[in-house]
This record gives sequence, structure tokens and C-alpha cells, in this order.
Amino acid sequence: MTIPTRRESRREQHKKGSSGAKVTLRNTLIAYAFMLPFLILLVVYHTWPVFFGTYLAFTKYNVISPPQWVGLDNFRELAQDEQFWSGLRNSLKYILVVPVIQVLSIAVAMLVNRPMKGIGFFRTAYYVPVVTSFAVVGLIWTWMYQQEGPVNFVLQALGLMKEPHSLLNNPFTALYAVMFVTLWKGIGYYMVLYLAGLQAIAPELEEAAVIDGATRLQVFWNVTLPGLRPTILVCSLLSTISAIKVFEEIYVMTSGGPAGSTYTALFYTYSRAFVDFKFGQAAAGGLIIAVISILFGLVNFRITRGGKADA
Amino acid sequence: MLEPQPLQRRAATAQETAHVASGLRARRKRKNLLINSFAYLVLGLIALIMLYPFYWTLITSFEPTGNIYQAKLWPSGWSIKNYVEVFRGTTVPFWRMVLNSVVICTLGVTFTVGFAALAAYPLAKMRFPGRDLIFYAILTLMVLPNEAGLIVNYSTTVNLGLLRQDNPVLNVLAQYAAVVLPGMASIVGLFLIRQAYLGIPMELIEAARIDGAKELTIWRRVMLPLALPTIVAFSILEFVAYWNSFLWARIVLRDKELLPLSAGLLELSGTFSTNSRAVMAGAVLTIIPILIVFAFGQKYFMKGIEGAVKG
Repeated sequence: MTIPTRRESRREQHKKGSSGAKVTLRNTLIAYAFMLPFLILLVVYHTWPVFFGTYLAFTKYNVISPPQWVGLDNFRELAQDEQFWSGLRNSLKYILVVPVIQVLSIAVAMLVNRPMKGIGFFRTAYYVPVVTSFAVVGLIWTWMYQQEGPVNFVLQALGLMKEPHSLLNNPFTALYAVMFVTLWKGIGYYMVLYLAGLQAIAPELEEAAVIDGATRLQVFWNVTLPGLRPTILVCSLLSTISAIKVFEEIYVMTSGGPAGSTYTALFYTYSRAFVDFKFGQAAAGGLIIAVISILFGLVNFRITRGGKADA
Repeated sequence: MLEPQPLQRRAATAQETAHVASGLRARRKRKNLLINSFAYLVLGLIALIMLYPFYWTLITSFEPTGNIYQAKLWPSGWSIKNYVEVFRGTTVPFWRMVLNSVVICTLGVTFTVGFAALAAYPLAKMRFPGRDLIFYAILTLMVLPNEAGLIVNYSTTVNLGLLRQDNPVLNVLAQYAAVVLPGMASIVGLFLIRQAYLGIPMELIEAARIDGAKELTIWRRVMLPLALPTIVAFSILEFVAYWNSFLWARIVLRDKELLPLSAGLLELSGTFSTNSRAVMAGAVLTIIPILIVFAFGQKYFMKGIEGAVKG
């Protein structure tokens, strides 16, 4: 184990307290000098956007001239903008991906957790989409979804569709088609996290349950799943937040179309800012998305009971 | 798995039991074989879904003509004319974009990893006032949603004068800086490297301090070499992140000549819309470096994202 346990690091800190270099002005300056470049960049590109972005939500701003305070005007405009609401609806609809991706990646993780020959190949294969850029992935699936393309071929061969459709050009299917790409690209990522979670469960627990006569399903339900609870919390939180903020796949594959059917909340803020140059209104939209994702984070936390394995 | 053992022990005394035991074992073996073949079937099917889109893009990019989007297992013909078209760069400057990607990745990885490795040292191994405050402030920043980040960072970049158009040489450098600066303070990287530093025995550092080594020397000669596996892992993750990112570059770069490959690919898909096969060739060329890095650094990936979540 290269990663120290919590106890080890605490011991480390204790030792530091007793025999580490003395706290002098010189040492303090050296410490801050080490952190200076990082902290400057952190403040400029991470902290500043949080505060200035919140402020901008109450202003009119086009980058060139300084922001003008307009109070709640941006929010009033957002409330009346049908496009914003449909963006918000689509973003919330996108959360449908979360349960599907979690269940599938737990299943896949359990499958690749089996000690079988060549299992390394499969783990690697499932991870390839994760390391590929959305620029590439989006283009590949745009081609795959063409009317005469492989996706239609498979759907027809399975008897799920009678006639070929251009799935990304149909307002009823486009959002789901993009969701599938998110799913396809994300499974490998969560698989690795769940794999780590599974390997952290003591094998003795599962063996003891088997000796006590538990069926496979009972072992999974009563031992494996509770053991995975902390991982499930982290993973569903990550995927819920990224579902609400879905953007890149939309940007590459549909640009919000057809007929606004894939227009998501973050795509709305993007177009307000970089197409219409209404940065204030974009910031207001961003603020609303931020609040929503905090709320979802809290709900998530409650559902998984804080990720405590013994809850 | 555990049952045969007690049965075996009894088999030493009773002949029939041995017979039953071997029967049981054979049945178990058959059952395992069945389960394993079923598992391989499912694993293979998932691998097909994960890899076929890449394979399909690869073979189609080598076809000279024919029904481009058709589902296929083998190209209808072989030709490198699509690649020649990309390499010639008649509509998009391919080699220039490769150069841009290399510059952006080199700058990005070097400084991101360097700044995180520097900043993590005092946070892990020094005592100074404000350490815990800084640590928790950074931690909070990581969970704070920042949907206006894109908007504010754009305004910051403009206001820093990085997009000015007055001096041909300086402007190129400034635009490269505009692309890489916002991602340079990586909180995940800071935590990963800090975690690795915590595992380094304090005695080593104390000994070096007693010998009169400067903190920077200790950092370079003790901390960096001992944390090397983590630093390599983080560098690989960052390389992939910089290579794959396209959105910010497309927003911020005034000069299309400076676009990195993944962003340029989207330009390519716009200008080459008459020859999608050339875009496919471009997509293949964009993925290759990532696949090479991934093949060599696979174990680092898995460790890296596990650590990112635990950290």
C-alpha cells in the first residue's frame, strides 16, 4: 500500500508537531512561496468566478464595457424565456441517465471483478471511451446514428424499428440518442470506481454469508450492496451533477437541435454568453443551475444516508 | 468453493462419501464452466459495443468510396487518400494543429503538475500559520459548483489582455497562455500529490534539514523522487485532459491557426462536410496518441481516478 491510512497520516502529523521545523517567519514565507503560483491561479480561475459570477447574475455585462447593476431583471427575463425552461426541463430529463449508468456500471464491475483469464483486456476495452475526447466521440456517434448507419442497422435487426430513422434529427429521439452516448462513454469510469469499492469489501464477509447458506442474490443484497454504499454515494453524486451540467456531447452532436429538443440548461447559458453576448443573463442561468445541483447533491446525500456502510 | 474441503476430510474415512464428493466437485466444475462461458459471452458483447464504433470509424476512414455510413465488418476497399487529404491540410492546417496540441499539452502538463507538486509540499510536511485554513478553503472550492466559470474566465482572459491583436509573436504566446492558464491549478492533483507526500517518512526530511539542505533542494531530491509514481500518474491524466479538451480553446482562440487537434477536428468536420471520410481519418489520428499513452500507463489511470475520488 502506497497510500497511507488515515491513522498513519495522523501519526505523521503528530510527529511533525513534536519535532518538525520551528514555526518562524522565514519558514512561513518559504511555505507560502511554495504555494504561491498555485494559489494565484486558484484565486483567479476558481475563486474569482464563484464570486464575480454570482455578482454578474445581477448585472448587464458584455465583457467590453463594465457590468451595470440591474437587480433581478435577468431572473425575470429568464422566467419569461421559454427556451430557458425547456433547457431546464431537458437537463432534468437527463438525470434519467444516472440510475441506468449506476446499475449498469455496478453490474459490469461485478462482472470484471471475477478472476477469469483475459479479464484485463475487458477492463481496458471498457475504459477506452473514457479516455477519448468528446470531440471524437461525438463525431463518431453522429456518424453511427445516420439513417443508413450501424445503429439503425442493429435496431432493425433486433426488430425494434421497422424503418430507418435519422435518430439525431428527430425531436423525439435526439435527447435519448445523446443520453446513450453519455452512458456509453461513462460506464468505464464508474466501473473502475465500483471495482475499487468491491475490492475493499472483505472477502470473509461474503464467504461467511455463503457458509450460512445465503443465496447469491442474498449475498449481493445484504453484503455487497451495503459495502458499496459509500461508492454509490460518490458515483451517483458525480453523475447527477454532470447530468445537470451536460454540455459537451450536446455541443458536438446536436447544438441543441432539432427544434430545441436537446437544448439543455448549460447550453442555454453558453449560447446567451457566446452567441448573444448577454453575459449577465448567462451568469443568472448558471447561478440557477448551481443552486439546483446543490439541491440534488443534498437529496442524493439523504437517499444514500451519507454513504455510511453500516447505516 | 468452501464446501469440498470438509467433505474431502471425511472422504479419508468413508469410501462412498469420496464418491459423492467427486461427483459434487464435477458438478460444481460443470456449473462453473457454464457460468464462465456465459460471463465471457456477456463480456464480449459489451466489448463489442464499446469498441465497434472505433473500429468502424477506422475501417471507414480507409475506404476510397462507397456507402459511407453502412454497418460493416470489413472496408469495401483500401486507400490512404483520406489521410493524404488530411496531411496535405488544404482546408485545415493539420500539422499546425498537431504542433499546437503538443505545445498546449507540454505547457499544460509541466506547469499543472509542477505547481501542484510545489504547493502540496508545505501542506503535507511543513508547519505554518494558516495551513489548515488554506487546506479547507481549497477543499470547499472543490465542491462548490461553478457554472459561471466559463463566462467569468472568458472575461478574465479578455481583461488580462491575452486576446489582444497587436504583436504577431507575443499574441501567439498570449493565446497559448489563454488556453492553458485556467486549468493549471488542479485541486485534484494537489490532493493526490499531498497524499503521496504524507507517506514519506519525516525522518528523511529532518535529516536533510539537519544537513543544511534548502527546502527547494529537499523538495527536488527527496519529495519528488519518492512521490514519483503518483506524479507520473497525475501527469498522464493531465496529458489526456489537455489533449482532449476542445471547448475552451474554441471559445477563446481568435486565431483558428492556433487550435489544438481535438478542437480543429470540429473545424474539419465543418469544412470537410463533403468528405466525412477525411474527418474520420482526422478522428483516428487524434485518438492514436491517447491510445498509446493509455496502453503504457494503464495501471496509472485506474490508480489515478480511484485516488482522485478518495483524496
